[in-house]
Amino acid sequence: MRSGHFIENYNKLVDLTDNPAKMAWSWLLVVGLVLVPLALDSFWVSILATIFITAVGIIGLNLLVGTTGQISLGHSGFLAVGAYTAGILTMDYQVPGLLSILLGGFMAALFGLIVGIPSLRLKGLYLAITTMAFAIIINHLILNADGLTHGSEGVVIDPLNVFGFEFDGDTSIYYLALAALVLATLGALNLMRSHIGRAWVGIRDHDIASKVMGINLVTYKLLAFMVSAFFAGIAGGLLAFQLQYINVDNFSLLVGIEALSMLIVGGLGSISGSIVGVFFILLLNELVRVTTGMFADDGGTMSLYIHEMKGLLYGIVIVLFLRFEPDGIMGKWRDIKNYWSNWPFHH
Amino acid sequence: MEYFIALTTSGIAVGVLYGMLGMAYAVIFKSTGVVNFAQGEVMMLTAYTAFAIASMWDVGFWTLLAAVMVIALIVGLIIEFVFIRPMLGQEPFSIVMVTIGLAVAIRSIVVLIWDADPIPFPSGLPGETISIFGSGMYDSQVYSVIVFLALVLIMWVFLRFSRMGIAMRATANAQTTALLMGINVKRVFAITWGLSAMISAVAGIFIASVQDLMPDMWFTGLKAFPAVILGGLDSVFGAALGGIIIGLVENYAEGYIGFNLKEIAGFIVILIVLMIRPYGLFGKEEIERV
Repeated sequence: MRSGHFIENYNKLVDLTDNPAKMAWSWLLVVGLVLVPLALDSFWVSILATIFITAVGIIGLNLLVGTTGQISLGHSGFLAVGAYTAGILTMDYQVPGLLSILLGGFMAALFGLIVGIPSLRLKGLYLAITTMAFAIIINHLILNADGLTHGSEGVVIDPLNVFGFEFDGDTSIYYLALAALVLATLGALNLMRSHIGRAWVGIRDHDIASKVMGINLVTYKLLAFMVSAFFAGIAGGLLAFQLQYINVDNFSLLVGIEALSMLIVGGLGSISGSIVGVFFILLLNELVRVTTGMFADDGGTMSLYIHEMKGLLYGIVIVLFLRFEPDGIMGKWRDIKNYWSNWPFHH
Repeated sequence: MEYFIALTTSGIAVGVLYGMLGMAYAVIFKSTGVVNFAQGEVMMLTAYTAFAIASMWDVGFWTLLAAVMVIALIVGLIIEFVFIRPMLGQEPFSIVMVTIGLAVAIRSIVVLIWDADPIPFPSGLPGETISIFGSGMYDSQVYSVIVFLALVLIMWVFLRFSRMGIAMRATANAQTTALLMGINVKRVFAITWGLSAMISAVAGIFIASVQDLMPDMWFTGLKAFPAVILGGLDSVFGAALGGIIIGLVENYAEGYIGFNLKEIAGFIVILIVLMIRPYGLFGKEEIERV
């Protein structure tokens, strides 16, 4: 009888998963998601696309906050950089769409490098405030450099066009987002099992100790910022092509906080947790929209009302999760799993 | 020269508000090691409460101020008791995230109750302009400078001489030792939060009487961050001074460079300061042992 889960050699330890059932289920999930648009109407397909795009960014944020332990309140800034780079490059400079999304990611990574530099000297709260300052400065630049960014008017973006195929409509965006999410997940999982990921975990657990162990703090902290910003930038580019209109209001500080709330709900440090967190928060959002829509009377006050209800909800969700389930949904899941696999013994 | 004086006086007038909020941040950080991201929201909540009182009863400005400070004390104690105390012993990041959650929630509550439109604030002050060195200031701005100086003095006396103040400094210095010496650390924490809410309530009333009551008032709380970083998060008087410096820098940047720099000048300053001195100008450097 199996009495526990043992990892017997090093290769097994760094494998993506040593459990064939888990692998099979994961691929089944992907296949299922490919088939989903056949079954759902376009409203839900577009919500799922939003969830996937957000998840790409949240996986990136998780690499920084959950894995490396560097707090960022300014990821809305990287999202904005990615979205604006992609939007401006395609619309004003006729760069092909997919390339511009990629370039948006690289541009965000460049900004990540700049923001990462203070992280070499700053810790914890000081760093959090610095990243927040970055997001505020980015928003200010977007508003004021209107020659480049169209200022407060925002950028209107044509549908993504790849070799003549237009990504217009919810289903095509859905597949694009799904592909991006699968790539992002695989990329992040592989990073986590490489020496880079282990160095990041070392830095999170104790940076001076890991420095003593021979981990170059400068390289790995900056790398964490760059990779994380790259993911956020890609998510921003995808978002730009999904919304087809971007404005500075899409990237307010609340977005960065919303992102952290998703991480906390899902469980810091776990990639599946990040995705679960995005699902939880965004579906909760929809629930709020639907329920308040039933009670509200007219359009104008209603959208304000929904916006504020959302804010209230994020606040409450963050506070409740930190208070009662600080490890998030994934933590709960682990507890349940441990309970059943150790049954009838308590651990 | 006149332009310079005008920029300076208005810079100081804004700076004292940052200074007050900065002191409110620093008081909490000093004894509990937590940055209260909901400071600006507490300020906004108390300012709106003051509006509710002032529109119901016609009390004078100073009575209003006193009443609101009492309310703020209660708000601070409630926040500490309901949200922060259960988190004791968790790592600072979790507690800070709780204050962020609280901040987002308070913002929404204020808008849900009082709506998003700006409301003129009936401060009870005549609203005259007073000429100082040839540039005009509102009376509320002049009062805010005076109240700010009084607050700094009171805080100094409080932290230096009162039993509670000494207990606070002891807790800030070494929490466990303070506990062993018979200081009620829980009570110190509670009073810290109450005190900080009171200071931010004072700032809130002055901010509301210079501008109007607006649902984005909380942003002033964020803009006070540079002040408290500049002074060092654990230095109450550094934060007060930092506030004035940031206020001046903002105004000079706006006045001499333009581009609406007022909004971000403070943040640019702290980015530079933090690169050079990671613990602020007056903050204490932490030496870490592994």
